[in-house]
Amino acid sequence: MRLKLYIDRFDPARDRKGYKQEFKIETEENETVLDALIKAWHQDPSLSFRRSCRSAICGSCALLINREPRLACQSLLKDVATENSLTLEPMAGFRRLKDLVVDLQPFFDGLKDIIPWVLTRSDYNGLMSPEDMEKIEKPATCILCGLCDSQLGDRRGVSPAAMVKNVRLALDTRDMMGIVRLQLNQRYPEEMKVFREKLKNLCPKKIVLPELD
Amino acid sequence: MITHDVVVVGGGLAGLMAANTAVGSMDVAVLSKLYPTRSHSGAAQGGFNSALSAEDSVEAHIFDTVKGSDYLGDQDAIKVLCSEGPEVIHELEWMGVPWSRKEDGKIAQRPLGGAGFPRACFAADFSGHVVLHTLYERALKLGVKIYSEWYLLNLLVEDERLKGLFVYNLATGETRVIRCKAVILATGGYGRAFAKTTNAFANTGDGMAIAYRAGVELADMEFVQFHPTTLYGTNILISEAARGEGGYLFNCRGERFMSRYAPEKMELAPRDVVSRAIFNEIKEGRGIEGEYVHLDLTHLGEDKIKKRLPQVRDLARRYAGVDPVEKPIPIEPAQHYSMGGIRTGLNCETNIQGVLAAGEAANVSVHGANRLGGNSLLETVVFGRRAGIKAKEMFGETDWPDVPGVSLEQAAEEWKRNFGSSEPVTPGDNIFVIREEMTRTMTDKVGVFRTEEELKEAVEILGKLRKRYKALKVDREGEPFNYQLMEFIETGYLLDLSEIIARAALRRTESRGAHYRIDFPNRNDQDWLEHTMVTRGENGPVFKGKSVSITKYRPVERGY
Repeated sequence: MRLKLYIDRFDPARDRKGYKQEFKIETEENETVLDALIKAWHQDPSLSFRRSCRSAICGSCALLINREPRLACQSLLKDVATENSLTLEPMAGFRRLKDLVVDLQPFFDGLKDIIPWVLTRSDYNGLMSPEDMEKIEKPATCILCGLCDSQLGDRRGVSPAAMVKNVRLALDTRDMMGIVRLQLNQRYPEEMKVFREKLKNLCPKKIVLPELD
Repeated sequence: MITHDVVVVGGGLAGLMAANTAVGSMDVAVLSKLYPTRSHSGAAQGGFNSALSAEDSVEAHIFDTVKGSDYLGDQDAIKVLCSEGPEVIHELEWMGVPWSRKEDGKIAQRPLGGAGFPRACFAADFSGHVVLHTLYERALKLGVKIYSEWYLLNLLVEDERLKGLFVYNLATGETRVIRCKAVILATGGYGRAFAKTTNAFANTGDGMAIAYRAGVELADMEFVQFHPTTLYGTNILISEAARGEGGYLFNCRGERFMSRYAPEKMELAPRDVVSRAIFNEIKEGRGIEGEYVHLDLTHLGEDKIKKRLPQVRDLARRYAGVDPVEKPIPIEPAQHYSMGGIRTGLNCETNIQGVLAAGEAANVSVHGANRLGGNSLLETVVFGRRAGIKAKEMFGETDWPDVPGVSLEQAAEEWKRNFGSSEPVTPGDNIFVIREEMTRTMTDKVGVFRTEEELKEAVEILGKLRKRYKALKVDREGEPFNYQLMEFIETGYLLDLSEIIARAALRRTESRGAHYRIDFPNRNDQDWLEHTMVTRGENGPVFKGKSVSITKYRPVERGY
């Protein structure tokens, strides 16, 4: 299949604003957007984009595909291309550094708002029930890709990814704060409900947060 | 100039464990070419081996590992690995790792290949991921300074002593010098030297190649692990946990062919045995469409697959279009892990003062000629911790080294040679073409089955590629996020390592563990029960042998 890729380019050393560069790519059945991006890169090696694992576990390649927030490696071309064309843009909501690369340092720094580690109770006896552990399992699959922040973050309060981690920690029976942690999210129950709903449709790891409030 | 007491290069499991252990009284930084949570440790699915239950024992774990290594693993190192395992697993539990649990609330364990017991602690099939994130959380708590998207370029070594590091900041396109007392290299493997690999794009053997260039010894580089079950075509990893949970392998006749190769252990034979078996089935015409075999999980039932193998299911559905609940998964072996690496002692120290290594980048050697599933994750945390402890000790004992002089001048000069616009020797040549030819050569000629003829061809091709590589330049110096430059530099590392792997494989005229020579199909303890040591000489790698630590288990024939 011949695919037209429109990739949003921006070089802070040269450009006044972003612009779309067109690439014509030959693609094969079952290839992903990341495969297409790499082919585009081979045509123009000055193109910058992040990638690593190519199996949706490292979270490097989050971007906008036809305006939808997705991981490039997780998106099959046959599922996302419309009329053999695709538009790729950097995630919204972050400072753009070059082409598809955005500044994620504030995103990672934002985790600190919620004390992002288990505060193990001194009387923890080394036992946890499988049921208790299962509650943590899904939220613990968060890959910190940044897509929820880019779509749902307001750049002021506790960030969405930090809230996900906080819920995972609040559910951990080892944690001495436990459910009290949720106050760190600084969100009203109604806001959390809206957040949970939006996250469900957006998260590439399909994390569904339980109702705790 | 930036200064830190200790710099850890690599933000995966070994690196973060080392940094978290060393930090406290010292100023510790982690230099990572990715954000640490993007490290490839996160892709590990199966689990961490450790003898936790009363029915299992550390001694049994040691024996399985020695046998799995085809008797090339150092038994003193294996003893450390297996003995410290339980303590580190519980340390991780206290840090907050969400290990899957048994009904009685204790940590659950599953069987992996080559083990006599269900010994791998896991979190569904996200085992590496959850520990990576827990260690990252811990690094935040402890105040480890993290340099994300910075690359190590050179170890600045003078008079067999580390003076500092020459590094590169991807975001600014600038080089910097870091003065430090010690460096811990935890940069992982070189999977991207092969066309067919489970490894991430980041796995380009940087630490091994940089260390080698600085005079650090590498060892056992011919031992390359090929994982039996990767998705046919994309080579995305399908965890050994799939077989640990009861999955079967079938050929085109519907036979569970492992009965021919490992009648006792069947699908849970070690990886070298299973990978050879699969290729043998394909070679003898029993592959499916002549190309792959089936990994069948359908008999496990939807519930078990959902609970224990959710990621495997997701990967198979997305990338192979097959739901393992309903259909078998088409799989083929692919490069997965490096048993060889930077040669270290039991405390992760190398032959150069101030340079330590841990994890896949290192060779201590606990895996010998073949690694067992679940032992590499254990190695990262056990030896990562030991590296951190050693760095702490050294900090107390040693003065600051002199400020780097000659070594820095050389590094800066070398760096300049990357840039320019001179014409390549071969018109139209570029880094992507060279990389493609290199990875093809490694997969086709330095794979599971090896022969003198093909290995010689590989060495010759790699030599020619190196010449073409040397004639190439990159034309955009000082540009932010210049991934072409990184591809160029990484390819240089991979060319160095590929040549070493091919030459070491050519030199070892026997078959042992993952190194199988069709022309020398038997193990030869008389001549080859030794490590392959390699250092950089004037005209390429220089090899010599080194004895194996055998403290208890004499080599016997290895059957499964």
